[in-house]
Amino acid sequence: MEQELSIVGKRLPRADAPPRATGAMQFSVDMTVPGMLTGRILHSPYPHARIKKIDTSQAKEVPGVEAVITYQDVPKMPFTRSAMAEALPSFAYEGEVLDQYIISDKARYIGDWIAAVAAVDVYTAEQALDLIEVEYEQLPAVFDPFEAMKPGAPVIHEGKKKNIAGTISHAFNCGDVDKAFKESDFVVEFSGKNSRQKHCHLEPDSAIAFWDTNGRLTVISPCQNAHLAKKAFARRIFDMREGDIRWITPAVGGGFGARLAFGVEPLAAFLAKVACKPVKVITTREEDFAGWAARTEQYQTMRIGVKKDGTLTGIEMRIVSDSGAYFSHSGTITAVNMQHTLGLFRFPNVDAQAKIVYTNTPIASGFRGYGNAEGSFILQQCIDMLAEKVAMDPVEFRLKNIKKVGEPSFFIPVPLDHCQLEQCIRLAAGKIGWKKKWKGWGKEKPDRIKRGVGMSIMNHASGAGGFLLEHSSVLIKLNEDGSANLTVSPCEMGQGILGALSQIAAESMGLCYEDIHVVTGDTDVTLFDIGSHASRSTLVIGNAVIDAGNKIRKQLLDLASKQLGVAAAELDIKAGRVYAKSAMEKNISVARIAHDAIYNYMDKGAHISATGSFLSTSHNPNFQAAFAEIEVDTETGVVKLLKYVVAHDIGRAINPQSVEGQLEGGTAQGIGLALTEDFMVDAVTGRTLTDSFATYKIPSTLDMPEMDFIIVEDPAPKGPYGAKGVGEPGLVNVAPAVANALYDAVGVRISTMPISPEKVLAALKGK
Amino acid sequence: MKKVVVVLKVNGKSYELIIESHMLLGDVLRDKLGLTGTKYACGTGDCGACLVLIDGKPALSCLTLAVTAKDRDILTIEGMSEGGNLHPIQQAFLDNGAIQCGYCTPGMVLSAKALLDDNPAPSKGEVKEALASNLCRCTGYVKIVDAVLAAAKTMGKGGKS
Repeated sequence: MEQELSIVGKRLPRADAPPRATGAMQFSVDMTVPGMLTGRILHSPYPHARIKKIDTSQAKEVPGVEAVITYQDVPKMPFTRSAMAEALPSFAYEGEVLDQYIISDKARYIGDWIAAVAAVDVYTAEQALDLIEVEYEQLPAVFDPFEAMKPGAPVIHEGKKKNIAGTISHAFNCGDVDKAFKESDFVVEFSGKNSRQKHCHLEPDSAIAFWDTNGRLTVISPCQNAHLAKKAFARRIFDMREGDIRWITPAVGGGFGARLAFGVEPLAAFLAKVACKPVKVITTREEDFAGWAARTEQYQTMRIGVKKDGTLTGIEMRIVSDSGAYFSHSGTITAVNMQHTLGLFRFPNVDAQAKIVYTNTPIASGFRGYGNAEGSFILQQCIDMLAEKVAMDPVEFRLKNIKKVGEPSFFIPVPLDHCQLEQCIRLAAGKIGWKKKWKGWGKEKPDRIKRGVGMSIMNHASGAGGFLLEHSSVLIKLNEDGSANLTVSPCEMGQGILGALSQIAAESMGLCYEDIHVVTGDTDVTLFDIGSHASRSTLVIGNAVIDAGNKIRKQLLDLASKQLGVAAAELDIKAGRVYAKSAMEKNISVARIAHDAIYNYMDKGAHISATGSFLSTSHNPNFQAAFAEIEVDTETGVVKLLKYVVAHDIGRAINPQSVEGQLEGGTAQGIGLALTEDFMVDAVTGRTLTDSFATYKIPSTLDMPEMDFIIVEDPAPKGPYGAKGVGEPGLVNVAPAVANALYDAVGVRISTMPISPEKVLAALKGK
Repeated sequence: MKKVVVVLKVNGKSYELIIESHMLLGDVLRDKLGLTGTKYACGTGDCGACLVLIDGKPALSCLTLAVTAKDRDILTIEGMSEGGNLHPIQQAFLDNGAIQCGYCTPGMVLSAKALLDDNPAPSKGEVKEALASNLCRCTGYVKIVDAVLAAAKTMGKGGKS
């Protein structure tokens, strides 16, 4: 039976939005602490160099300088930047490579951290940086992962032969791919790679840290997973107790996965320890571009077999991931590529292997879409190539081969329990007018400017249950006025999660939406949560909120039952009033119950409160189909995205306005990934060439096409009120859909992102 | 470093300040006056997060020397909602879900104000054109453009300018 909902599903305003409109909202970079010093970093000018000598004596003499640190000073415990790794089970954590110190012992990329200074102001700090004398011994460097694996290549990390940081054999390899290919009518092969997309969160990286006289450390930073960061700090970096760390996360000015890996927090904490004063480390956009987070570049080759009737027989996938100078997220993002990409279609035979390789380039990391955008770019082009081989419509070919409910799902080996992908494909195809616009394979188009249509579909996890510790705990307490404090620990980086959780809380308790006050952003107050990533927060934290909300509801009903003389089972709560279902006139306000529970002079007092927890052991997949219509100028190579249509299987939209916002914003990042965002490292010097918004082009208002977003609602069994995730998926389908539309328009395939005019022209020339 | 005395007129109030002559307007607003609604994001004039209005015209405070703004009317985001009343543009941003992380919002709102002061009934294309140098990484701009068009309607009906 369809649940009757009064708050979930409504386009309600976010309580945290008005201060963002007035400029009152404080982001980490806006914050100050009395007596605070400014921290700045000395970066390596060389891509690979041994530090022969480092002399900080002159820097330390500068008036106003209170700490200067080098690799000689920092703790000697190696760690990984990926704080998210703390949520991996121990068998998976063993695959993580602990290869970093707070300050590097050797320069491994241009921009590597060689020293840092804390001083009274930024000018003094930078003056001191100039006075640090470093004698480098330059070493041969390597910027390409295939070169890095060759015999005789420079060794970036001691003990890592051929610079291979790790290898991955897909957990769900099965059958015999070679045999399957022999029995196939056609086998297609396609190789390509994604670009090293930059997050470009507008709030730059920064961190404030200070130690109190009891040795407790406070960190203030934009962090997507504060509880895990706290644990990594305690266990891996500073060798202290988790309880001695307090992590404060103010409003976060965009995350997109960048803040799942440490930024400058370890540096701020160590500088503060040495200086015995609060330190705020600030960074510039240029440092960010040449720095410590970007989408991991994955070089992929796929081979897929098909029978004449369009039945897929098997898939082989080989990945070489360029982790840059340090490991960070490059292992997990590669594994997650396999998990998403190889499980969408019915492949009876699967063989996927990957290598993670170091190069002397900036550090790669996790990024929204986390492997799925990378793999889909190759897979969805392969699928179109196969459809062409067997002369099938790409829509029909996909419909024939996608998995249905009951078949094995993709992220972990459980049966697929909910899927509206077929519905999504049909709705989006109808909306773009596929039957009219797609003219069939190999149809030459006249005119200089040619039009084309293309499609892409995806599945994505709503939380990485079964792989990560998908645990969220929350706390709710009722105030004397009947309002509720909801204490939760997602990372509100703009996605509107605090609003969605407030709607879920109000619905579950029977309160008014306006009566929910969110408390968040402080690990001393919030209960454990692994933060916001993997499109997980609505589903996992939402279920924890319902757990707590149900307990509050029970307390309210029990207390109301005594006051009204009606059995608890006969009562309900709506809009902040408890009433008898059979006699509405018998009612009492939640405010009265909450107040009297506390101000109870007769009996033992009680403060109505509850904790709630949820551990998601599955991945609750969400699905999406997307169609792109483009225009290609065959003389300039410019591809213009005219129209983009998406149908997304969300289960239930807790707040449709926020869901649209996620799809629209994800699409914009996908358009950048598809067409313009081209992170470039100079192949000779290793220098980052794209180090500003002027040289690295993210979409502006003028780059946005006409768009249509269809939200497909059919409550999923394990979602809070049926909701599944939507944070990442908007980004995934754009590049493959545009690539397939390009083939439809002009008959060429582009294998590397972005689909730039230069590449299109070169391909047209070679046709 | 040479220090100078300047009087800056910000959001209708005059402030006498002793600053280094090379200080940028954005740094003075943020660090000296505590007006952190003006955002730092790129420092190179490429993103519009630091945008303020000087004598009603958009100016990038990360590229503007503070001394050059003396005796001129500087409007920051804090001046848009004085007395606690949201400007119709801010209200439209809220109503249309045009704010995600909010880091670009101050610059966007001020850009929109400059546009609507100049052209009270812009077309969708004109709104896109006017906001093209304000980068947003969260929203995909759809709801921002909708919000500015909605604000134009409200203001045309007699809302405050």
